[in-house]
Amino acid sequence: MTTPVLVRTRSLAKTYVVGDVRVAALADVTLAVGEGRFVAIIGASGSGKSTLLNLLGGLDTPTGGAIEVGGDLISSMDREALARYRRHVTGMIFQSFNLVPSRTALENVELPLIFAGVERAERRRRAAELLDRVGLAARAAHRPSELSGGEQQRVAVARALANDPRILLADEPTGNLDSRTSREIVGLLAELNRGRNLTVIMVSHEEGLVREFAHDVIKLRDGRVVAEEGAP
Amino acid sequence: MRFGDAVGFALSSLRKRRLRTFLTASGVMIGIGALVCMISFGKGMQKNVTEAFKAADLFTAIMVMPAGPSEPGGDPDEPGSRRGGGAAAAAAKGTLLDDAAVAEILKIPGVMTAYPEVSFPAQVGLGDEGEFRLVQVVPAAVAASRALRVKWGRAYANDDERGVVISGSFARRLGLKDPAAAVGRTLRIKSVSFDFAALDPGRMMTGGGGLPLAQESYDFPVLGVTGTAAFGEGGPGLGQNDVFLPPGPARGIKRLPITSVWDVFRMSGGRVGYSAVSVKLGSLRDLKAVQSRIRDLGFSTFALADQFEEVTKAFYLMDMVLAAVGMIAIVVAALGIVNTMVMSILERFREIGVMKSVGAGDGDIKKIFFFETGAIGLLGGAAGCLLGLATSLLINRIVNIYLARQGIPYGHYFAFPLWLFLGAMGFSLLVSLAAGIYPARRAARVDPVIALRHD
Repeated sequence: MTTPVLVRTRSLAKTYVVGDVRVAALADVTLAVGEGRFVAIIGASGSGKSTLLNLLGGLDTPTGGAIEVGGDLISSMDREALARYRRHVTGMIFQSFNLVPSRTALENVELPLIFAGVERAERRRRAAELLDRVGLAARAAHRPSELSGGEQQRVAVARALANDPRILLADEPTGNLDSRTSREIVGLLAELNRGRNLTVIMVSHEEGLVREFAHDVIKLRDGRVVAEEGAP
Repeated sequence: MRFGDAVGFALSSLRKRRLRTFLTASGVMIGIGALVCMISFGKGMQKNVTEAFKAADLFTAIMVMPAGPSEPGGDPDEPGSRRGGGAAAAAAKGTLLDDAAVAEILKIPGVMTAYPEVSFPAQVGLGDEGEFRLVQVVPAAVAASRALRVKWGRAYANDDERGVVISGSFARRLGLKDPAAAVGRTLRIKSVSFDFAALDPGRMMTGGGGLPLAQESYDFPVLGVTGTAAFGEGGPGLGQNDVFLPPGPARGIKRLPITSVWDVFRMSGGRVGYSAVSVKLGSLRDLKAVQSRIRDLGFSTFALADQFEEVTKAFYLMDMVLAAVGMIAIVVAALGIVNTMVMSILERFREIGVMKSVGAGDGDIKKIFFFETGAIGLLGGAAGCLLGLATSLLINRIVNIYLARQGIPYGHYFAFPLWLFLGAMGFSLLVSLAAGIYPARRAARVDPVIALRHD
């Protein structure tokens, strides 16, 4: 199936300088992700998966090449433009959930809506709806420490969806979960991908699991794309 | 990010770290408390002096003196030094400060009253014993006004009533524990006058006396006693004297025509002018015009209202010095805020990363930290105002306990205008926000990738 390209990178590079040493985390990464696709990025530790996801999520800036999302050149955006991009175009989930411990599940889901300037009553309603969507309506008033790993990751998914993003970026979302919960979470992402036509880019090293759900698989090694399966 | 949400973020964060918030705000509280205390003291002193001036009608008083330059080398605090040479010059021009001049001054629009500054030395006591004092002749109209603040008894009703008013402190010096007890007692004034019949050149040559002086005794009932104020007794030019007499009885007293050596110079062809005339105005607005008219008559004038501008400047200077001392505490408090907020960044490093990952911009992060420092500033500022007020009232009470032992009545040495509290709060907020600039910028520059990896 051919879909319009939503994300495109050209000769993307990221080099870190540690003292006198230059470490190339990514080199010459050129890829395209079609809208509404579920893309898995796999590879060993240190292969550059998370670096690529951070660049696509606008959390980091490349040292070379270009990133284009929906026609906008992300790689040349300034800090404020990148913040707007993170706020309205992407939603991110992480291996360690990254929920704010002092806030309830509902308040964590509200967080992106606060920075989007959504009025309090409206964001309460939307956050409650999203928690219901991920099956956690009854846990809205609980703090992260009172939730299981799977529940925390569901809250993180709800939070990532708060501003109705075009792309969901997941960085090892199953890394801290048991196999049954991992399957549930990846299943949820796949459901969102299908139900909302949401583009999902997920980094994982659980090759078997991702091959079950992803449309496309991109394999990285030493910061370079070594294999691409499926076609946008 | 909405304003209310930024406030909510700030308050929630401060609530989470209650002890640290309390300690940091305490630093601001002490600084603002010190500042409020210092400035309220300066303002209190200024208010007391201003009110004392107003109460004594000093702003509407003009002292008229014979015109002319000051005596070279004369003591500027000694009225004679200002008027001596001028008197000679005025005398030479024939513009004597005499009854005719007083009558002319009284005709000037805006002048309420004018009376010569007449005083003479005499031995004053409740019996034959007494102290040498200057007895001042004051018209009844002036004695009845606020100028002479009679606390016990009354002022004399007219210029011819036979009676005196004495100061409270003089009553005490006369041996009366309660100054009020002087009312109704008889005061003996022993004046000194020239008696050329007693002149004995032979005894003078041999140093055996023989000065042409005579002493006469006059008895007067004490009608009233002035109170003792925190800032001096009596009123304009009356503050230094202890015995006040109406003009009528004063005319019957044989006395020396001079009170100082400068009075000798005022004698012109046998005519003697007054050393000074006090003028009272109905309103301060007439001051400049009346001064100008009096100068046109050939006399010099001195008005405290003119000098008060300089006094006000001195008070501003004092306020600034006091504020500068208070500022030291504020600077220390500001450093405390910086320290707290930098610590807060380190503790919330990951949270900042999370906020950025979900769309917070640098401006949002800055806003959150600014609102936190602002809240600390307002909290500390409000508490500081209360602390400053409480400390000032406590110091005032302690000072009054001490001064009461010296016989000085209760006074308010601190003033608390509303602007002081509003200004202190505003200043506290400003200093806190300034202290928040560095932490807010630092928090805004946090790299989300590094922050999200942070444990």
